[in-house]
Amino acid sequence: MNQSTKWIIGVVVVAIIGVVYFVSKGPSQPVSTEPIKIGFIGPLTGDAANIGQNVRAAVEIAVNEVNQAGGVDSRTLEVIYEDGQCTGNVASNAANKLINIDKVSLILGGACSGETSSFAGAAEQSKTAVLSYCSSAPAISQAGDYIFRNYPSDLYQGSFGAEYVYNKLSKKKIAILYAKSDWGNGIKNVFVKRFNELGGTILAEEGYEQTSRDLRTQLTKIKSANPELVYFLGYTEASIPGIKQAKELGLNAPLFGGDAWDDSKIWTDVGSAGEGAMYSVVYAPLNSDFKSKMRTKIGNDEITICTPQAYDAVKLIAKVIEKVGINAEAIKNELYKTSYTGGVSASEIKFDSNGDLVGANYIVKVVRNGEAVEAK
Amino acid sequence: MDILPQLIINSIIAGAIYTLIALGFNLIYGATKFFNLAHGVMAAVGGYSVFYFAKTLGLDIYLAAVIGVLITGLVGYGLDRLVYSPLRKRKASNMVLLVASLGAFTAIQAIIAILFTSQFKTLSQGVGTQRIFEVFGGVITQTQIIIILAAILVMVGLVLLLYKTQLGKAVRAISDDEEVARIVGINTNKVISYTFFIGSAIAGLAGILVGFDTGIEPTMGLSLLLKGVIASIVGGIGNIYGGVFGAFLLGFVENFGIWKISGEWKDAIAFALLIIFLIFRPKGIMNK
Repeated sequence: MNQSTKWIIGVVVVAIIGVVYFVSKGPSQPVSTEPIKIGFIGPLTGDAANIGQNVRAAVEIAVNEVNQAGGVDSRTLEVIYEDGQCTGNVASNAANKLINIDKVSLILGGACSGETSSFAGAAEQSKTAVLSYCSSAPAISQAGDYIFRNYPSDLYQGSFGAEYVYNKLSKKKIAILYAKSDWGNGIKNVFVKRFNELGGTILAEEGYEQTSRDLRTQLTKIKSANPELVYFLGYTEASIPGIKQAKELGLNAPLFGGDAWDDSKIWTDVGSAGEGAMYSVVYAPLNSDFKSKMRTKIGNDEITICTPQAYDAVKLIAKVIEKVGINAEAIKNELYKTSYTGGVSASEIKFDSNGDLVGANYIVKVVRNGEAVEAK
Repeated sequence: MDILPQLIINSIIAGAIYTLIALGFNLIYGATKFFNLAHGVMAAVGGYSVFYFAKTLGLDIYLAAVIGVLITGLVGYGLDRLVYSPLRKRKASNMVLLVASLGAFTAIQAIIAILFTSQFKTLSQGVGTQRIFEVFGGVITQTQIIIILAAILVMVGLVLLLYKTQLGKAVRAISDDEEVARIVGINTNKVISYTFFIGSAIAGLAGILVGFDTGIEPTMGLSLLLKGVIASIVGGIGNIYGGVFGAFLLGFVENFGIWKISGEWKDAIAFALLIIFLIFRPKGIMNK
C-alpha cells in the first residue's frame, strides 16, 4: 500500500466516523420536542457589520422572549446565524448551507439588498420562505412568491428624499454620490426620476465601488460642479472616509444621505466633518421597553436601522409558525394574510401581493454635535 | 473651478500608496519568485498594531507606528520561517507557495477580525486636528504629504540597501539565480527571510498610513494587494523602479480615467490597464 492510498483511506475513515457521529446524534431524540430551526443571514462581518451585529442582538432578545414564554407549539425556537458580509456570493453560500444542510423552512434575512437578491432564486426554487428585515432594493418586490420583507422598498425612500430636498430644503441643483450596490443604485434611480419630475437639476452623478475607500476624485468632480447639496448614498465603511474627504477637499455643500447613515459610528468617527449632515430613515415607534432590553443586551444605547424590524420579524414568525406549523408553503400563505400590530418597527406589519411591506413612514435626522436628532 | 491640480494630487496620493505596497511585493518576489498573496494582509497587521498600541494602550502615536512597522516585519519573517521556508526546502512548486500564501492571508485576516471585530476604524484623531495645505489650487492633508514622503524615502532606502550593502548584494544575487547564489556561499534561506522582514515591514507602513488617511478594516489588504500587484506587473515584476513607475502610472490612469466619465469606472479602468499590459507587454515597462 503506497503513501497516498493510506492517506485516502485515513481521510475517508475520519469522514465516516464524523458523519456517523453526527447523524446518530440527530434523529435519536423524538421529533416533536426538537427545536424549530430558522436561518439568519446578515452582515456579521465586513461592510455594514455594525448593523449586522446590532440586529443579531435584537434577534437574540426576541428568540429568548419567545422561548421563555413557552416557545412555539411547546418547541423552542433556534436560530442558525450565518454571515452574509453584505456581499452577494457570500450570502448565497450561506443560504445554500441553510437550505440544503440545515433544511430550514424559513430564512430571516438578508440585510443588504445584494445579500437577499443573491439567494432569493435558490429560496424560491427550494420553497424556502424568506423574510428580510432590512433589504430595500425595489427589485426585490419581484424576487418571488416566497420572498417577503418587513422593511419598506426604496421606491418610497428615493422619492421621499427627492421631495424633501426639493420642497423642504429648496435645493434645486444637486449632485449624487452613490455606492454601486443594489441598495445604492435602487435609491439613486428612484431619486433621480422623482427629482427630475419635480423640476430639479442633477449636476453630477458619481458612483463608486462599495469596497472603495478613496472617493477623492469623485468628490473633486462633484465639487467642481458646485452643487447646492450632495445626495450621498453610502454604507458606514465608505461614508466615514467619504465625508472626511469631502471636507478636506473643501466641499462645503450640505450632505444628505440614506437610511444606512443611521449608524452612530459614522458620526462619532467623522467628528466635526459630519456636522449638519442629514439623512432619511424609516420611522420606528421604538418603545422604552425595547430600548432598555437592547441596552441590557449590548451595554449601550445604540439601535441601528433594521434592528427593530428584525425584532418584530422574529415575533411575527413565531406567531405564524404557532398557527400553521413549519411547512414553508403554509408559512408563505399565512404571511400574505397576516397582520401584526404592536411591534417596535411599525404600527402595523402587513404584506402586499409582492411580499412587500405596506406603507412606509420616513423621517429626516440631522447631525448636531456628533449625534443624529430628528429634524424639525 | 479647475479640477486639474486636484486630480494630479489625488493621483499622486494613490500612486504613493500603491508604491509602498508594490515595493515590498517586488522585493519579496525578486528573491523568491512566487506570488506572495499574504503580502496584502501585512498592511492590515500594521494598521491594527498601531490601533492597538496607540488607541487601546495609549502609547505615543509615533512610537506606536514604529512598533507597528516592526511587528509587521516580524509577522512576515515568522511566516517565512514557519510556512514558506519549510516548503522551499521540500522544493515545493511556486503554485504550492501561492496557495500557502492565500491560506496565510485568509487566516491572518480572520484572526484580526476575531481580535478587533471587523468594524471600520480610523487611526486619526478627528478631522479638525488635520492640517490642510493648498498646492497650486488643490488641497492636500498633512497625512497625505507624509504618505508621499514615506514612499520616496522607502524607495531611496531600498535602492541604497540593494546596491550599497552586503545584504543587498546577496538579495540581488539570489534574485538572479538562487542556485548559483547558494553555490558561492550565500545563506539563501536566511537572506530570503530578511527580505520577508523588510518587505512586510514596508507593507505594514503602508497599512498604517492608509489607516491615518482613511481607516482600517481586516479586509483592507485585498484591494491594496490587487492594486500593488497591478502596479508591479505593469511596471515590471521584481523590479524596484518598475514597481514605483507602475504605481504612479496606475494612480494617474485610474484617477484621470474617471475625469470625463462617471466614477464607478475606476476599478474597471485599473484592471483594463492590467489586461492590456498582460497581453502586449507581459514583462512590464521595465523588464530586465
